[in-house]
Amino acid sequence: MKVGIIGAGTMGNAHAKGWQQSGAELIGVSAKNQASAKQLAQTYQIKAFDDYQELLDSVDIIDICVPTDLHKAMVLEAARAKKHVVCEKPIALSLEDAQEMIDACDKAGVRLFIAMVVRFFPQYRAAKTALDAGQLGDLGVIRLKRISHQPIGDEAWFTTEERSGGMIVDLMLHDLDYARWLAGKVKRVYAKSVRGKKADAPGDYALISLGFENGAMALIEGGWAYPPGLFRTGIDIAGSAGLIEWHSDDSQTIKPFLKPKDPGKVARVGIPSSGTEDPYVTEIKHAYDAIKNNKPFLVTAEDGLEALRLALAAKESLKTGQVIHLGGK
Amino acid sequence: MRLGIMSFAHVHADGFLQILRNLAGVEFLGFSDPDKTQGKFFADLYGVKWFDTHQALLAEKPDAVVICSENARHLEDVKLAAAAGAHILCEKPIATTLKDALAIKEAVDKAGVKFMTAFPMRFDPSIVSLKAMLGRGDLGEIYAINGINHSEIPRRHRAWFADKTLAGGGAVMDHTVHLLDLYRWLLSCEVKDLYAEVANPFTPDAQVDTAGLVTLTFENDVFTSIDCSWSRPEAVYPRWGHLKMELIGEHGAIAVDAFNQYLNYYSKKDSRQANWLGWGSDANLAMVQEFINSIREDREPAVTWKDGFEALKVALACYEASEQKQVVRF
Repeated sequence: MKVGIIGAGTMGNAHAKGWQQSGAELIGVSAKNQASAKQLAQTYQIKAFDDYQELLDSVDIIDICVPTDLHKAMVLEAARAKKHVVCEKPIALSLEDAQEMIDACDKAGVRLFIAMVVRFFPQYRAAKTALDAGQLGDLGVIRLKRISHQPIGDEAWFTTEERSGGMIVDLMLHDLDYARWLAGKVKRVYAKSVRGKKADAPGDYALISLGFENGAMALIEGGWAYPPGLFRTGIDIAGSAGLIEWHSDDSQTIKPFLKPKDPGKVARVGIPSSGTEDPYVTEIKHAYDAIKNNKPFLVTAEDGLEALRLALAAKESLKTGQVIHLGGK
Repeated sequence: MRLGIMSFAHVHADGFLQILRNLAGVEFLGFSDPDKTQGKFFADLYGVKWFDTHQALLAEKPDAVVICSENARHLEDVKLAAAAGAHILCEKPIATTLKDALAIKEAVDKAGVKFMTAFPMRFDPSIVSLKAMLGRGDLGEIYAINGINHSEIPRRHRAWFADKTLAGGGAVMDHTVHLLDLYRWLLSCEVKDLYAEVANPFTPDAQVDTAGLVTLTFENDVFTSIDCSWSRPEAVYPRWGHLKMELIGEHGAIAVDAFNQYLNYYSKKDSRQANWLGWGSDANLAMVQEFINSIREDREPAVTWKDGFEALKVALACYEASEQKQVVRF
């Protein structure tokens, strides 16, 4: 099947690599920043389309890697054009928009895959597998960590609350989704953040406490708080019969200690690496296989919506200073 | 200076005994414990003098005592020690109710003896360095602290830790107070409000909470978290647990792992498959030294009754927040 990517930023590039290895035919890219589009096109030997409508018309699958505030319009347009859609997370900025996108794709008979990449990271999958095999007993306390530096330069839309939803919706969504995947339905959300108190703070950091219907609890930690270049993640899942600990500090299989060639040059957006198959590649391969062979997605658009629900509940908690009870007490 | 230990109920009593009998300038009198089995067992184990009543130990006129009884018995033991004119280093939590904690203050004030709450982590070198870094302004404005004080359920060592009446609660009562005390000390202010999720997922046959996630905001708007869970698998984890925190601020972050100085150790002679053998410095020793110095110099110890009281107040509020599923404001 023919695939086109819209957007040539960090995620456009990560997905392009995945499509190239997926067996699909990546034919082109279109981006508002034409220089970035040309560069991506050159790297993958594909065409840079000036007109994204033309790209949309030429493909079977459109991969939307644009800022979050543009997701809805583009997904609706793709659905109208009867194209399958891969869309970067978060699905949208509001639950209403997310539902409208899901409904539009359903009605048009096209697939909608929300790229929630953390579910494709091997250590996160391995932990989920151990839990499902009963190795940990009943879930007790989940701790998840994801702290990076604040996105830099061209990627500044990330830090604009109206465009990205802010750090909680953009970054912590991953772990909110993962916690849901592990423990199921959330009943209570309580959150505190730096920008919740001081909107113009130079970085952001938040702690979100979740209470699940099954009695488990979770502490989700996220931030754009580290010095440039640093990205740390971690998992601690404790159950009645066992425990899983993992921290990104500990699992590098190769550690280069080289003098920097260009100390000023740091990735504009930090993304974690896993040292195995690039999880973005795993993710795109899966999406393509599911679309091509009409198989279910490992993470559904509804999962994308539910993760957004948790992120928005956390923001509501920041605003009110109260515990947010989902679905009544 | 002559010191004794009142009760061997607390798991830290063993450590205090080792410190006191080796400390220069200290005459260690032994320990009292009305529990005959426990008393005889530890007297034989360590080869020290055991008094089968607290009164018998206090009749030796110690200058000071370390109270290591069950949390709910702190008040009665403080009363005895204070009446005998002994200065007191008391295990945490200070008591199981605020009423008891206030009565403790009344007893020590009336007797004119010193009272120190045993919060050893303030004396840990990593925490002392952290305090200095914050004092120098290395982190700039502090935004948040995420802390962990995990362990296995301590009942394998002393059963009463999982007895609601004697301990006053489980993991929340046992572990919230350490980090809370450090936060209060590092931030120099009090808790404004808190929310807590509290449950017993790990040891269903225990009658107390084994898991707690507390989110606390201080008066200066710094928000913090404490994970006090007894979530490390009992007898399987390579060590009792750990105390860690990460501080986030204007200039980046500082991560602290206070017990990170250990050897990976494996022995066919040990029950565990792997052990973390600590080689770091002993915070308890520095704490005991401060207690003794405060007596010698006739001044307030660095950790006071109020520190114990405030920590207990917060621990009790965690249970309240969890029951009501609402934020508790002070």
